[in-house]
Amino acid sequence: MTTDDRQELPGSLDAALERLPRSIEPGRDLWPAIEAQLEPRAARPLKRWLWPAAAAMLLVVASSLVTASLLRRESAPVARVAPVAQELRYATASFGPDQQLGPAYDAARQELAQSLAQRIGRLPPQARRQLERNLVELQRASAEINAALELKPGDPLLEELLLNAYQDELAVLASVQQLTAGNGSGTMIDATRMQL
Amino acid sequence: MTEQRAESEIERARRVADERALVDTARRGSPAAFEALYRNHVGHVYGLCLRMTANRATAEDCTQEAFIQAWRSLPAFEGRAAFGTWLHRIAVNAVLAQGRRRREQVGADVPADEAAEALPDPSASNDGAVLDLEAAIACLPAGARQVLVLVGVYGHSHEEAAALLGIAVGTCKSQLHRARRLLGARLQTPEMAS
Repeated sequence: MTTDDRQELPGSLDAALERLPRSIEPGRDLWPAIEAQLEPRAARPLKRWLWPAAAAMLLVVASSLVTASLLRRESAPVARVAPVAQELRYATASFGPDQQLGPAYDAARQELAQSLAQRIGRLPPQARRQLERNLVELQRASAEINAALELKPGDPLLEELLLNAYQDELAVLASVQQLTAGNGSGTMIDATRMQL
Repeated sequence: MTEQRAESEIERARRVADERALVDTARRGSPAAFEALYRNHVGHVYGLCLRMTANRATAEDCTQEAFIQAWRSLPAFEGRAAFGTWLHRIAVNAVLAQGRRRREQVGADVPADEAAEALPDPSASNDGAVLDLEAAIACLPAGARQVLVLVGVYGHSHEEAAALLGIAVGTCKSQLHRARRLLGARLQTPEMAS
């Protein structure tokens, strides 16, 4: 509300209106009626049995990117590689204490991370800092959700949030692979192309 | 003090980040994430709907409609505004659409609803002055009430309120003046009725 608007309200009424609580809880839980009317969307929440499939999909993507990276490395001139920030280390990917994603997934993820270490030096400093911040934030979120899952094992919301965090992390890694593809000569990349 | 402020800022940033994660997950089709958003925002949405409609049952309908509409529109939500701001607009639209339907059914302007039906649950507040004010707001004509709620309670500018309600800014100002005059008379405070 602007000063002009406030001047139209008498002082005592103005103050009384401002003191009114903005939130009022309904007398009954409206969620069941709302939930009954939510149309399912194409992107259905992943059920527990779909996780191995999701992990496999991520593995395929990661492997493809690593393979492409290796093929390019054979023909591209060697680029100077800047050291990777200390924070870009990868904890074991899991879905709470009972749902480890398995060594194959972790291995592919580590390979992708190593490939990132070789490519990150080609990014402009600003884009690189943004990338590092995003990855650290995603890993912090994953760790926090994992900790929450230890307290509430099998909680569907936490599981979905965690899967999304992993997917986002992989998308960030893949975006670096794509943006640095063909830049073996060390050409600097326009920071505005970084959708991180 | 500075440390406390920094911690408060960090906590606020974390809440925003958590909400973004919930919005992102809900946008990908998770009812569980959407339920968490519902729990976080239902009080604000219901409060807005109750004050704008002056009727508990209608406010519940509008609240449900707002969340259902939000679910449908979530894939198009780009996150330029906060989720709560976006939801607030949807709730106002739900109230206006409900008002149009009701007028079409009744075929006449909606009379002022019963004040008792508009009041929050009395057990939720033991402040008599607050309940008096809520009752006085509920008795206002719909147009004046909606402007007063948006400008006076929820802090919109006249331009914002006029855009939300689909009326001219001048109309918004005159409705606020009318609301103020009627409220002052009802609350029997001469300084308010000036």
